[in-house]
Amino acid sequence: MSDRKPLFSSSRRQLLKGLGLATLFPAISACTATGTSQASAGRVVVIGGGFGGATAAKYIKRGNPAIDVTLVEPNKTFYTCPFSNLVLAGERTLDSIGHSYDELSQVYGVKVVHALAQDIDPVAKRVSLSDGQTLQYDKLLLSPGIDMRWNAIEGYDEAASALAPHAWKAGPQTLLLRQQLEAMADGDTFIMSVPGNPFRCPPGPYERASLVAHYLKTYKPRSKILILDGKDNFSKQGLFTAGWEAHYGDMIEWVSLSNDGRVVRVDANRKEVETEFGTRHQAAALNVIPPQKAGFIADRAGVTDASGWVPVDPVTFESTQQKDIYVVGDATIASPMPKSGFAANAQGKVAASAIVASFAGISPQDPIWANTCYSLINPDYGISVAAVYRVQENQIISVEGAGGLSASDAPDMIRRSEAAYAVGWYNAISQDTWGTKL
Amino acid sequence: MSRSILPHKHSLHKLLLATFFVGMASIVHADEIPQAQVSLMAGTCANCHGTDGQLAGAIPAIAGRPATVLEAQLLAFKQGLQPNTTVMDRIAKGFTDAELSALADYFANINKD
Ligand SMILES: Cc1cc2nc3c(=O)[nH]c(=O)nc-3n(C[C@H](O)[C@H](O)[C@H](O)COP(=O)(O)OP(=O)(O)OC[C@H]3O[C@@H](n4cnc5c(N)ncnc54)[C@H](O)[C@@H]3O)c2cc1C
Repeated sequence: MSDRKPLFSSSRRQLLKGLGLATLFPAISACTATGTSQASAGRVVVIGGGFGGATAAKYIKRGNPAIDVTLVEPNKTFYTCPFSNLVLAGERTLDSIGHSYDELSQVYGVKVVHALAQDIDPVAKRVSLSDGQTLQYDKLLLSPGIDMRWNAIEGYDEAASALAPHAWKAGPQTLLLRQQLEAMADGDTFIMSVPGNPFRCPPGPYERASLVAHYLKTYKPRSKILILDGKDNFSKQGLFTAGWEAHYGDMIEWVSLSNDGRVVRVDANRKEVETEFGTRHQAAALNVIPPQKAGFIADRAGVTDASGWVPVDPVTFESTQQKDIYVVGDATIASPMPKSGFAANAQGKVAASAIVASFAGISPQDPIWANTCYSLINPDYGISVAAVYRVQENQIISVEGAGGLSASDAPDMIRRSEAAYAVGWYNAISQDTWGTKL
Repeated sequence: MSRSILPHKHSLHKLLLATFFVGMASIVHADEIPQAQVSLMAGTCANCHGTDGQLAGAIPAIAGRPATVLEAQLLAFKQGLQPNTTVMDRIAKGFTDAELSALADYFANINKD
């Protein structure tokens, strides 16, 4: 469908037809096409306008426009973590990764409320917001992303992140880290502390190291990058290591958990970190990616378990602990699906479809998802990992024989194509999630 | 596919799963997959091809192309017959022939904007 069409237009029926749902809801498409108001088919509140929440809000409306959908999100512009590593490298502006909620409200009729959800009463089915409003729901969908576990690393709390940014939520933190990289002198060291699993975007830290290396190689070629890791191996490791060697020589040093890579203490003022066995490292620019958990509102809703993440039914993404609360994205336990924007978007569609089906009194479809995570070694050299997922015996499984990594011996032409497809992917998922055409 | 027909014993699980998917291609025809399931399955394509498969760029739009062309292309990806493929071979292998055929039909029937 085209963007920025008025809400009541013939594109509505087209939409339903496209989704294959026109036949499921003949009465609805017939009367909304004329623009007459009608009783709501149910009230959904969506919390969080990131990859999972914005997608779910849009696809619930596509599935059945008569469902009343309110999206709660404090920010007027959402800055994506995907491609924020290009902002760090000076290859993109922060503006170019910002997305508004105009299409959701103007084209799809989602009510967008810019506030923070502060509390949830799952019995009374009420959400209280920072602006004093209370919202009543029949179904609640949470996609709050992650919160940092402050003080899980000694000395690393929110105040410390103003000195040693995590930049693991995009926006001001991204700009802060960019400023530190710009302030580095040639020959200085950039240190990155990476947590153990699970965390948001498993290949993200290594793409960040690559793109920071791309910047340093051009402007400060004698500088070093030290990755201190809480793990002994990482996503796409072979492809990253080969790419680093080919493009950056020995600029990037990776220290594994077993080689004393785990950071246990941070002195943000001195930009100094200490590892498990007492080694101290001093940085000119310090990036601490701390351990994480589901966004706090998931706790308030009573959907998290002892791990701090949210167990869900794999077919519908409804919480296993609270009825009528659906949770998608990074906050969930959906392994083997990664905590990626791609997965959050895909899960958002599955939960949206389950919610639409539930209001219509029909049973949900078994989902099939794909995921592709692109990483850039430099702006013209892309690698990827892909998988296809299904539900089997009430578990999400990765289909055997499908998916996997880019070939280790692929020619440059393929690496260039994958870099171009990474941009194509970014444009497509942005359009699919927020309607932003780039 | 429906949840109830999946096998339950774990020891045989991988073998059965493989048999199940391979078997399904010959038993279930594309037009027997419920339309609501096809549209849910198609949602995953939008992550790279845009909503309804309509976004053209480095990655081509797929909406409104003839079903036979789309199906042949998807099967060629799945069988590894398409040279210089980056990721679609890895993805197509996760779907049965019937599912690929249903997806081809689905996108062929969406009007190009
Ligand atoms: C450096 C980096 C690179 C990445 N690159 C990729 C990539 O290339 N590909 C990929 O697929 N993924 C990538 N990711 C991962 C991706 O960013 C996340 O997986 C994705 O954002 C998860 O979506 P989500 O909806 O769960 O959370 P988010 O997208 O973070 O959205 C959560 C939203 O909820 C809002 N919110 C939270 N609490 C409340 C509340 N109480 N009330 C109201 N609103 C609230 C927040 O403001 C936020 O807007 C990357 C991540 C990083 C850090």
